[in-house]
Amino acid sequence: MTTSHDYPLIRCKGLTKHYRKGRQTVTPLSALDLDVPRGEFLALMGPSGSGKTTLLNLIAGIDRPSEGILEFDRHEIGGLSRGRLARWRAAHVGYIFQLYHLIPVLTAFENVEIPLLLSGLSRRERRERVENALALVGLADRMHHVPSELSGGQEQRVAIARALVTDPPLLVADEPTGDLDRESAASVLALLQQFSAEFGKTIVMVTHDPRCADAAERTLHLEKGKLLEAEEAL
Amino acid sequence: MMVKIIRLTLLAGKQLVRHRTRTLLTLLGVSCGMFLFTTVRAMQSTLDSATRIGAADTTLVVYRENRFCPETSRLPEYYADEMRGLPGVREVIPVKITVNNCGASLDVVVFRGVPPQTLLRYAPDIVLLDGSYETWQQTDDGALIGRLFAEKRGLRVGDAFEGAGVRVIVCGIIESPHAQDNQVAYVHLPFLQLASKRGLGIVTQFNVRVDAIEQLESVASAIDERFRHEADPTYTQPEKAFFAQAAGEMIDLVSFTRWIGYASVLAVLGLIGNAIMLIVRGRVRENAILQTLGYPPVAILYLVLSEGAWLGAAGGGIGVGLVALFLNWRKPTFGNEGQIVALLPDAPTLVIGLALALALGLLASLWPALVASQKPIVESLRS
Repeated sequence: MTTSHDYPLIRCKGLTKHYRKGRQTVTPLSALDLDVPRGEFLALMGPSGSGKTTLLNLIAGIDRPSEGILEFDRHEIGGLSRGRLARWRAAHVGYIFQLYHLIPVLTAFENVEIPLLLSGLSRRERRERVENALALVGLADRMHHVPSELSGGQEQRVAIARALVTDPPLLVADEPTGDLDRESAASVLALLQQFSAEFGKTIVMVTHDPRCADAAERTLHLEKGKLLEAEEAL
Repeated sequence: MMVKIIRLTLLAGKQLVRHRTRTLLTLLGVSCGMFLFTTVRAMQSTLDSATRIGAADTTLVVYRENRFCPETSRLPEYYADEMRGLPGVREVIPVKITVNNCGASLDVVVFRGVPPQTLLRYAPDIVLLDGSYETWQQTDDGALIGRLFAEKRGLRVGDAFEGAGVRVIVCGIIESPHAQDNQVAYVHLPFLQLASKRGLGIVTQFNVRVDAIEQLESVASAIDERFRHEADPTYTQPEKAFFAQAAGEMIDLVSFTRWIGYASVLAVLGLIGNAIMLIVRGRVRENAILQTLGYPPVAILYLVLSEGAWLGAAGGGIGVGLVALFLNWRKPTFGNEGQIVALLPDAPTLVIGLALALALGLLASLWPALVASQKPIVESLRS
């Protein structure tokens, strides 16, 4: 019998995504099967156009599959309405972008607080959570700085704090070190490893960089919308 | 739910405050538009209240037939005695009016000469703010001047001033709920008759108070019938209808300004719409990020609407506030044929201005808000 703990947090069965580009139908992801166990740090690699970001977007619930099943914690999320999917994301997913995507006119504190504004938390509770999240990424002393006053590495750490602040079980990261120098990239990866190991976060990370993928527990390779077997990937 | 709405409203306000230059430029345009609209609206409202006959309006104005200016309406004062004998007439007050300018003007000096003992019956709502009524009664060249007139010309009790060739001493400053009373100088009838060189025994008009509003028409007809074959026939009508007729050109002019008001509304709509459209276009990715972080489409819709509402409310508040300040400071009046109107913004006009600005903000941002909330996240992130 499969217990709730054994059952993968994310299960994809025959996951397919089509979209129209002019008169053509493009299929960046085709009949993909994937299980991601709870607490795993998974890296997705592949060349441009291989479908890794499409898969990440489907897993993060910011896009919907054309066919197939996408389960999160035994619940099908592929068919949720836009509103329900948004509420699901707010509760279950922290998204880390390659280009940080902080809101330029807001301070680090305010950027991290954004996901909490739609929660029922009081101002004091929100402040505590934001301060903890910023302290966790080592930016407690930068919370009143706007993004233009921070380095790239610091901006990405603010973005990580923003992804973490709601304490979601799943973190998805799209090339989180792609725009960083080596030192900053290493510190970001160390943080992700820490969240996986210490807090049991399930992390799905897309990367081009094999050194970055080394930080993950498991690496999967995609090509033309399909997962490659281990030996193929080699 | 309400807490979330407040938080989103504050977030929208924060975005506007921190894009200071863009917001200030938009507010400048919106406030100018609303200033114009509210000023026009104040003019309309002032004229409306000056010409609308109410249940308490039981006064007729008897004027020289086919005359429209106080300088050309000349009636024998003895008509008053004959009018008093007509059924339904409660009181007749002869009035001499002297103005510095009979045409449409923004700076009119109006002297109203009434028998001193009848003033409180002629204008029962006036309140003495400063000075002495008794002193005025005892001073032949004394004047009781309206508050706005005094403020505009910086006059105080004891000062002397001259206008339309008449020199008087200020014996008191009065206030009245009727705009006209706040703009004029009340003087003794015999004094004004002599000062204006028309001579004793000639007045401009008679104010006739009837017993009941239903009698206005019959008494007016009876008066005109009585003097039809005299050398100076009369034309009698209710006081506010008289005002509407005497100030007809001014009313036409002010009525035309409503189009300026409508144009201002359209300009504000376009300005906020354009500003919000630019905001939404420049923030496609930001909105996608908010949605990625769990903001549902309705929250994005509300955020954009809030920005429009802020711009409308703040711009409207500034514009309407400036109108209130400006009109109270400058106290402009406009007049025609000796009839004057004080341009003062009333509370409903200010509230309408504010509410309209808010509604325009919401209306102008509705379409951009719908577009922003419906844009697919992935497509927006790629933009």
